[in-house]
Amino acid sequence: MSDHPTIKIIARFWPHALLAIVLVLPLFGDAIATKLTPIMVFAIVGLGLNVVAGFTGLLNLGAAAFMAIGAYTFAICTVPIYPFQIGFWPGLGVAIMVGAVAGTILALPAMRLRGDYLAIVTLGFGEIITDVLKNLDAITKGTQGLNPVAAPEIPFVTYSISAYKPTYYLYLALLLVAILLCHNMRKSRLGRQWIAVRDDELAARSMGISPARTKLIAFAIGSGLCAFGGAMFASLNGTSIEPSFYDFQQSVVILCIVIVGGMGNVKGVILGALIMVGFNSIILVNLTEWMTRNGWTGNNVLATPSNWKFMIFGLALILMMRLRPQGLIPAQDVEPVTQKPATAGATP
Amino acid sequence: MTVLELDQVTLRFGGLTAVNNVSFRVEKGDIVAVIGPNGAGKTSLFNTITGIYPPTTGRVLINHAVVEQPATLQNKIQWTIIGVVTAIAVTLALNANAIWDAAINAHAITSPFPWGQAFNDACRVLTPSAWTIIPGLVGGFVGASGAWNAWRTARCSPDLVTRVGVARTFQNIRLFRELSARDNVLVGMEPKLHSRAWDGAFRLPPHFREQTEACAKADELLAFVNLGEVADVSAGSLPYGHQRRLEIARALASQPSLLLLDEPAAGMNPTESASLMLLIRKIRELGITVLLIEHDMKVVMGISDRIVVLHYGNKIAEGTPAEIRENPAVIEAYLGKEAG
Repeated sequence: MSDHPTIKIIARFWPHALLAIVLVLPLFGDAIATKLTPIMVFAIVGLGLNVVAGFTGLLNLGAAAFMAIGAYTFAICTVPIYPFQIGFWPGLGVAIMVGAVAGTILALPAMRLRGDYLAIVTLGFGEIITDVLKNLDAITKGTQGLNPVAAPEIPFVTYSISAYKPTYYLYLALLLVAILLCHNMRKSRLGRQWIAVRDDELAARSMGISPARTKLIAFAIGSGLCAFGGAMFASLNGTSIEPSFYDFQQSVVILCIVIVGGMGNVKGVILGALIMVGFNSIILVNLTEWMTRNGWTGNNVLATPSNWKFMIFGLALILMMRLRPQGLIPAQDVEPVTQKPATAGATP
Repeated sequence: MTVLELDQVTLRFGGLTAVNNVSFRVEKGDIVAVIGPNGAGKTSLFNTITGIYPPTTGRVLINHAVVEQPATLQNKIQWTIIGVVTAIAVTLALNANAIWDAAINAHAITSPFPWGQAFNDACRVLTPSAWTIIPGLVGGFVGASGAWNAWRTARCSPDLVTRVGVARTFQNIRLFRELSARDNVLVGMEPKLHSRAWDGAFRLPPHFREQTEACAKADELLAFVNLGEVADVSAGSLPYGHQRRLEIARALASQPSLLLLDEPAAGMNPTESASLMLLIRKIRELGITVLLIEHDMKVVMGISDRIVVLHYGNKIAEGTPAEIRENPAVIEAYLGKEAG
């Protein structure tokens, strides 16, 4: 980061400014609030992946699968065609638990793997989940998806289903809780164990940390958060959507949220979600609308900005890796005294 | 009292014998040095003691006991439970569609939902057949053997050895570079910490109690190795000499009874190694036994009570610094045989 005072002030206070903005935005109309709510959901999913990939250094290419598990669990628990119908809040709880269990089951055989090997395992897991959801059609209704699932509700408050503000503030509150939990975990004993295992697994073992246990906990918590986000997303849309929505591309988008913001940084994930999802669901959509109004879109696929999505994501990733591989906000939360690399002579 | 005893320890990697039939003892309160030419098997010996590589043959006794998880009845019950749960889960998963159709979809229009009837119908689907028994057996076997294998591989591991009071530093510094110096020491304190994951996540009282106490202790340790001013600096950005001392502080944090130092003076200038000798003596005064690998003979001869000499994995000599200095086998190993 530059030492310029303006940049320092921005770097210090942008989270506060952002919070103030999102708190007052719905007062200016539901349209923008409707678009911001999915961003909050994806921020929660990003936080979940950040626990696994950022804090613990386990590259997970199957985040969307856990989102799917959350969404479908929530849907099965709340749709009227099934007898459970346990409602919004218990549904969220069950979704988190099932997500955590699924994460643990995936992590069990993958415990000894790191880096590329683990990435391949999680990639395969993601593919399996979408296929399983497609083929368990007696339960998941295949490609139709399950609907209508329970809408968000606030305990002891009644409001009409068409009112959007309560849902907006509810989701904002849930996101803030998730942020707070992630921050607390990072600063606690558990967070130190995660970082220790990420930085040097052998040294961590020699300090009395069991890496297997640490990774299991990371996977359970991370997957639980992803499933939480998935359930919130299903509730927001009124449907579990369809299995192929939670495919590899979705996982990559979630991974991008974490990478763009800065791996292992809670604030970075929020910024990443804002940029990635916001760009996709606000800027591109509005640009397309505006171009259609002016009659600039035709039969050419390139003339519709929505189709640029993955090209721009890809380009953004290449530029990030080239110019700022540590993410927009690097994870380092301690001030280095010297800029000199301290590794000189580390291998005597 | 013997803190560490090596009983005919041999460590082989395929055809290469890194440590060959080495036995020695380390008594409480001593400073013992392991020396030898490069490739003599010193670091392999340390890795055997700390459980990174279990010895091929022989035993490592720490406080008169081999560090190993025993196969208790509890373990065996655990494997069985995991096997049974996997068996049930696999069987249910393979028949999920059929069960759901019979139990839920068939009664979907009935109100109120007949739970008892649904359960009976689900059980009817799960009658013994090739589709229930074979997956169940395979799942049970995979689950139980997987649990057993996980236990077997974790049987003797560095984290267990650390928990019985052996701490170490590494030849090539292995700090947690992204964590601050204080956090590095706090990680070293792991065996003494007991707060749960949710204590930290929800900031419950046990977290604060432990955190305050642990931070105070960490700062004490950092002051002990003269790193008090850099507690909040990330370990990766500290100068080399500081990193060496931080590793020692991190190792001391687990309150070990035995401290293994792997070439602590490597890359240090004479002033720094002199202050290192002072530090090692101070550590001994805390009642901690020290076993170190070192090439700097000034350090070795200056602080060791006893010296063990390794050469090509064999122990060729053991004794006080004065004895080692005069030992012909040692002189030969280091300088070669005199011509003629």
